[in-house]
Amino acid sequence: MTAYLIRRLWQMVPTLLGVVLLVFFLFKFFGGDPAEILGGLAATEEQINAIRDQLGLNEPWWVQLGIFLKQIVTFDWGKSWATNEPVAQLFMSRMPATLTVMVPILLLEVLLAIPLAMGVAYVRGSLTDRAVMISTTIAVSISLLVYVIVFQYFFAFRLGWFPVQGWSDSFWTNLTTYTPLPVIVVSLVALAPQTRLYRSFFLDELGHDYVRTARAKGLPEKTVLMKHVLRNALIPIMTNVSVLLPGVFVGSVLIEVFFSIPGLGREILLAVNRSDYPVIQAFAIYLAAITMLVNLITDLLYSLVDPRVVLK
Amino acid sequence: MSAAAKQSRGVWALAWTRLKADRVGMVCLWIVAAFMVLVVLTAMDVIAGNWQKEIGVPNAPPHIVGPMPPEAVGAIEVPKGPNVDLSDIDPLAPRYAEWEAAASKYKTEEITRAETLPLGADRLGRDILQKVLKGAEVSIVVGLLAALVATFIGTLLGAVSGFFGGKIGDLLEWVYNVFTAIPSILLIFAFAVIFGRGVMSVVLILGLTGWTGIYRLVRAEFMKHRQRDYVRSAEAIGASSASRMFKHILPNVSHVALVQLSLHVVSFIKSEVILSYLGLGVSVDQVSWGTMLSEAQSELILGYWWQLAAVTVTMAVFVTAFALFTDALRDALDPKLRGLE
Amino acid sequence: MLLSIQDLKVAFRLGKEHGEQQRALAVKGVSFDIPENSTVALVGESGSGKSVTAMSILNLLPTNAERSGRILFQGRDLLQASQSELLAVRGKEIACVFQDPMSSLNPVFTVGQQLVEPLITHLRMSAKQALVRAEELLHEVGIPEPKRRLKAYPHEMSGGQQQRVMIAMALACEPKLLIADEPTTALDVTIQRQVMELMGKLKDKHRMSMLFISHDLGVVGEISDHVVVMRHGEIREKAPVADIFNAPQDGYTKALLACRPSLSENPARLMVIDDHIAGKAADMDHKAKDPDAPVVLEVSGLKKSFWLKQGLFGKREFQAVKGVNFKLRKGYTLGVVGESGSGKTTMGLALLRLHEQSNGTQGGQVMFDGRDLLTLGRAEWLQMRRRIQVVFQNPYASLNPRFTIGQTLREPMEIHGIGSSTADREARAVALLVKVGLDETAMHKYPHEFSGGQRQRIAIARCLTLQPEVLVLDEAVSALDVSVQAQVLNLLKDLQDEFGLSYIFISHDLAVVKFISDEVLVMQNGDVVEQAATAELIAAPREDYTRRLLGAVPRGYQGA
Repeated sequence: MTAYLIRRLWQMVPTLLGVVLLVFFLFKFFGGDPAEILGGLAATEEQINAIRDQLGLNEPWWVQLGIFLKQIVTFDWGKSWATNEPVAQLFMSRMPATLTVMVPILLLEVLLAIPLAMGVAYVRGSLTDRAVMISTTIAVSISLLVYVIVFQYFFAFRLGWFPVQGWSDSFWTNLTTYTPLPVIVVSLVALAPQTRLYRSFFLDELGHDYVRTARAKGLPEKTVLMKHVLRNALIPIMTNVSVLLPGVFVGSVLIEVFFSIPGLGREILLAVNRSDYPVIQAFAIYLAAITMLVNLITDLLYSLVDPRVVLK
Repeated sequence: MSAAAKQSRGVWALAWTRLKADRVGMVCLWIVAAFMVLVVLTAMDVIAGNWQKEIGVPNAPPHIVGPMPPEAVGAIEVPKGPNVDLSDIDPLAPRYAEWEAAASKYKTEEITRAETLPLGADRLGRDILQKVLKGAEVSIVVGLLAALVATFIGTLLGAVSGFFGGKIGDLLEWVYNVFTAIPSILLIFAFAVIFGRGVMSVVLILGLTGWTGIYRLVRAEFMKHRQRDYVRSAEAIGASSASRMFKHILPNVSHVALVQLSLHVVSFIKSEVILSYLGLGVSVDQVSWGTMLSEAQSELILGYWWQLAAVTVTMAVFVTAFALFTDALRDALDPKLRGLE
Repeated sequence: MLLSIQDLKVAFRLGKEHGEQQRALAVKGVSFDIPENSTVALVGESGSGKSVTAMSILNLLPTNAERSGRILFQGRDLLQASQSELLAVRGKEIACVFQDPMSSLNPVFTVGQQLVEPLITHLRMSAKQALVRAEELLHEVGIPEPKRRLKAYPHEMSGGQQQRVMIAMALACEPKLLIADEPTTALDVTIQRQVMELMGKLKDKHRMSMLFISHDLGVVGEISDHVVVMRHGEIREKAPVADIFNAPQDGYTKALLACRPSLSENPARLMVIDDHIAGKAADMDHKAKDPDAPVVLEVSGLKKSFWLKQGLFGKREFQAVKGVNFKLRKGYTLGVVGESGSGKTTMGLALLRLHEQSNGTQGGQVMFDGRDLLTLGRAEWLQMRRRIQVVFQNPYASLNPRFTIGQTLREPMEIHGIGSSTADREARAVALLVKVGLDETAMHKYPHEFSGGQRQRIAIARCLTLQPEVLVLDEAVSALDVSVQAQVLNLLKDLQDEFGLSYIFISHDLAVVKFISDEVLVMQNGDVVEQAATAELIAAPREDYTRRLLGAVPRGYQGA
């Protein structure tokens, strides 16, 4: 087990290096000139050059890459060019907001989709099944943006059940006042494709031989579905959760912009619009590392769910 | 056996027969085809060429709703009566006659702005019907081209990685890992910064970030097929690697790629909407379903729902038809995948 | 009478075409009885409807199946039973054992968890009591260390052990009838014998009846009391086992019995169904082989191993083939026999250098026409390739589904530059198709329009387009029905006589190998256990393993 962990952590290094290189070169060769951006419209030539020197932009690119790598290794993320706030601090202050919104969404969409999909799988082929399939197809064809606009209009603006936008400093207030509307909208919208996906998992499992054996033993259909099939379907469901999990840390940019939630997603958009390189680069690497760690954890969890998996 | 008379059906011919028997699938095919015809006509400027003209009253309602009551415009009362004569204190007074003479040489076109339009007007008075059609052209073209780019990249890389394995497979896996480790939002934003706004930019952005799913699938298919006996047989008779990859395996995998292409068309059309809302999509002088929805948010608060409705319904019809068609296509190509009768 | 099936018809709904419901009739009016305390065998080839008939009893068919007729069990008609009545019968009065134990057991539950389910459901035992009983059951079916094995997962056991677990699960509630659907087909021959003996023993002990479904008359003859022969959804003959074997009445039954290659008889050609129905006698006229024929292939010390990942960064070597030597003469056949894991297939593919891309090492020498095939450079190897060809096992996977037969046959000729023009190549392809028993119309068709046997012939024709000298046949007839197998084997013999081909025939079926080979190699775990001329090996085997293999071959009915 330790051998496995060490090998996996070791394998992360080339990927992280790749992320660093990609981010560095993307912005170096294609991005706008940060010195000009920082200098502002009225800056003179000397001022811009001075800024360039300060940022080390006049050095050859491999020196800059070296500086960059050194910063990463020493966890010195530097300061935002726009606000002069240390990037690490920026990251930590925005993360809670994102998590407060995204974690409930993930929980709701997975936990609600499972019984819904099981129910639909139970009545497969019937009119209910077909009706559900068609309505989910239509529901999925409408953009999330439309749902958000309409929900905000009706439930916040018109009926006043929720605040239209906003955020506070208290975790509890956020959770009970400001997150319900975005969470409900996104979960409901995500429920349609999730249910369809999980339904296909259940139907897939129902075609396997062990289901026939369970029936031959005289088990009622409900037991077959809820005990035998569900347990096996957890494996692809886990795969699905592991794909969605890194997204929890990034946050939904659309939701955060729409509802003015000060989270990571919105911060990234702001940084991109301002060409704020330290923020963008640091966030990219942070999030890539988190994604890889999350993948590692879910792989470990696999061995609990699927006894055939041997971690070596 | 009427063998001589019956022409043998290949896989595609068989799939077409199965598809024709699927009524829902065929209806959806017609709807999609109709949209494509509209797209082509719009692209050639045969219809919706004048979408930018402000021919309606701002926020004019659709025909079925009827014109807005005049009080809603909130005009200020115009005082009646002749103008007071100020020529003694007015410094410009001597020049008026000259200017009147010069102005009379020009013709002013008085456009009567329509009170209602077929689907209503946006806040500038532009015809929503034309906007929706033009927007359809832009959004569908973006979706199709981006999906083609993503499918091309994903299939090519997946084929090479899956077939050869070894060092080159490892290299491609590393590229895949790097692309998937970075959150896709960030990657999209990064490319947006590089490519700027515009239709081709969006196509490149979505295409260059969206190939990973297809790569994974195609790679798995190639890995599965290279072990199969018919490929081993081809190797035994001396077929080259390229021949095995593209002549033998690819035709057996193309249905997977085709279904992925369709799925990505839908997902990219929806992504364009979000990108346009965030200000990273098509350029300011173009219209797409995304830009229309961005305008819809502020309009809704004022009570004007027609642009939102028009875009939502049009997009829903197209996307639903396309998605159902993709399902029918998948069933026709491989009946075993049908979700149990 | 324990179970009586009367005029059973089963149809499958296939979907609507032009608004009309299409149906496929799989079982067309079948009637037979299963007496108490006896074994009834249901025999037939693929598509005969035998499995469908058996699965109808407990309604374990897919949802698009429609049944009609009567199935009387203990005074009730099972076809009319309500769902709760059916649930009470399943697993308790009538139990099942299926063909593939690996997929029939739930992979995420332990053996113990799955064993206790019928006990708790039907016999209302508590969890503790059930576990105790489960352990007894495992012991009864011959699983060593039953208490420990209760906590094991199915994938941790071998195929034979998994099947024993399935049997234990079926016997848990002491059913009156055991339905066994091809229970030994997926197992190795030696394991097959063990499981068959176990089932016979348990049946006697528990005084159960058994409905045993199989395609193998040899197996059926050994264990059944009554035999029902089915073809195309209908019963051709039903009689006590002695009558079926000694005095079969129906033409199809006679043909089935005759076209099996057996260890005791020695025909030159196998009987095929049509021959038999036409009343022809077996051809015993052997053509003698030239003892001084030149050696075409000489293999010395052939080795093949694979790297497996182990530990942190290391790898372990797995030796699949540990050292094989043989000489193959022109016009002769070398048979290679072994069970799964013996290395026989790996050896065959190593000769053809078809393992190149997978990680591993190769060793030894393969001398062909004075050159060592394993060390040839790419260009030379391409030339030599045409002279050694291969036919694979699975007829459904060896032809590209997107190519027409014509394309499949022309491709090898185009690669090696055989034939002067497209027309010439077409002509050659058609000639070969005729030779293997198909006709010109096949050229424009696709593989899915042909049966398994026909596809194997096309695969053989494809090899012949290159005019090879040596043909490696890797389980080439194992996936075919017995009657089709006979046709293909006869074809292979004819082609060998006509073209002077040398064969390396790899198979797990000793009877088939005996029919076609001149010399036999017996492999186990990568080693050659015994190597001798066929007649010698069958008559006087020297090694224990060989004797076991010979003993495991089902012999059919052996008399009163």
